[in-house]
Amino acid sequence: MGKQILVTLYRDEVAPRFDLCSEVLLVTVDATGHEVRRQDLVLASSGADDLCDLILDREVAVVITGAVEEEHYHYLRWKRVTVIDGVAGLAGDALTRYLGGNLDPGAILFPRLSHA
Amino acid sequence: MDQNTVASISGLDRADLLRVLGGLPFGVAVLDSERRALFLNPALEDLTGFSSAEVAGVPCRHVLRGSFCLHDCPCPPRGEACLAGGNRSREGTLINRNRRKIPVRLTSLPVTDRSGEFLCSLDVIEDLSALKDMETRLSVSASPGQIVGRCAVMEHLLRILPAVAQSDAPVLLTGESGTGKDLLAEALHRLSPRARESFVRVNATPMPEALLDAELFGQAEGPGGAPRPGKFQLAQNGTLFLSEIADMPLAQQGRLLRLLDERAVLPAGGDRPMQLNVRVVAATGRDPEDMVRQGLLREDLFHRLNAVRLHLPPLRERGEDVPFLLAHFLKLFAAKFRKPVTGFSDEAQQQLAAYDFPGNVRELRNLVEYAVMVCPKDTVGTEHLPLPLRFPLAPAPKAPFAEASQPQPDQARKPARKKG
Repeated sequence: MGKQILVTLYRDEVAPRFDLCSEVLLVTVDATGHEVRRQDLVLASSGADDLCDLILDREVAVVITGAVEEEHYHYLRWKRVTVIDGVAGLAGDALTRYLGGNLDPGAILFPRLSHA
Repeated sequence: MDQNTVASISGLDRADLLRVLGGLPFGVAVLDSERRALFLNPALEDLTGFSSAEVAGVPCRHVLRGSFCLHDCPCPPRGEACLAGGNRSREGTLINRNRRKIPVRLTSLPVTDRSGEFLCSLDVIEDLSALKDMETRLSVSASPGQIVGRCAVMEHLLRILPAVAQSDAPVLLTGESGTGKDLLAEALHRLSPRARESFVRVNATPMPEALLDAELFGQAEGPGGAPRPGKFQLAQNGTLFLSEIADMPLAQQGRLLRLLDERAVLPAGGDRPMQLNVRVVAATGRDPEDMVRQGLLREDLFHRLNAVRLHLPPLRERGEDVPFLLAHFLKLFAAKFRKPVTGFSDEAQQQLAAYDFPGNVRELRNLVEYAVMVCPKDTVGTEHLPLPLRFPLAPAPKAPFAEASQPQPDQARKPARKKG
């Protein structure tokens, strides 16, 4: 039994805001975690409610996104969707890390400067 | 461009500059030409939930997470557009690390060297939460709230309400049950200069007089020995609403009269009166003159409260308001329940028009709530109306107080109206 993973997109990055995202990456993986299908969906309009509807309609199991408001976060959790939010980085990197079991909420994947 | 850019500004050393930015009471981010974060001051760290160290080098859209970041950045990367001038302020929201949406204003200030070369951007982020809260409070306080009506009587009432609210005179609200006396009292408070203070509702339900006395006027020594404030003390500087003056025993009516005259209250068991600044709004569903005749309401208190009297007519006397209120509540509940209901069928409208709503606006509101709840289509039909409306019962005897206040038998139940 496979599962669907949705990554909110802004260009090639994870969208910084869930509610403002107008494009998503939908990836289907099989039971062994191998990617079997990848779809880019451009949304007619951005909005957290519509995006939640899409997530539930498509029976998405995991959402990887940037900032999400508490209300929508808890709604998706209540609907048994795993939400990995606060992710800052390239969408491809985030997906790879998730499939490798190595992506936590709040992960910052961009290279960082060291503070003097 | 790296974070040492900061050090090159204005000859200040880097530590001095960061200390200056750190002491500012609003959020400041220093960003490089690619709008990557170089530094967040403590105020911005508090606002966003990110520390300066953990986001150094991260694109600011992933740090500020503002509604303006993706498509309306005031200072896009590489600086040219930023230096070109124009409005560099944006109002919007950010979502912080705790998933809280915060209204903010961002102002982006490009920093250049002497030759005009872009060095970095100083982004100032102001938290507008308090301002937005105040705007909301003011907009709510400037409206009569949930009281709506289009008939002449209601329009007159809503027109004089702001003027009545400005006065400190006691107000007596009359009207049958379900006409909206509680809402009117709240609207009076919201429109008054006391709007920021407490609105305290008192329901003088039957209880032992000593207990009611303590409840209303407080106790000098409550349980545990500490003074216990009564409802009047809790309403200090605000408004006290007596939801049914007829329920108040005569002894307490006498104390209320003294309070209105002397503007002071003596807590039970106390010997020092406490000065009070409270506006009293009283309501009754009965005919107050009749209550005076029956000895249920002190005549002197009635005259004191009757300084300003506002009467809410029953719904059956607000003919044109019925279709308006039906449409108003339909829209309200359709939005609340997220249902695509847009109107009533002709048959449902005829049944509703023929009904006289003895429970007034409250009954109409509940009826529409039920209809919207059970309606699976876009139009409410007769089958979605509550059963008593679909199969009317024989007229029930009116409640005793309603009979007392409405002695005209010919008006007690209006015959069914014909539509059209």
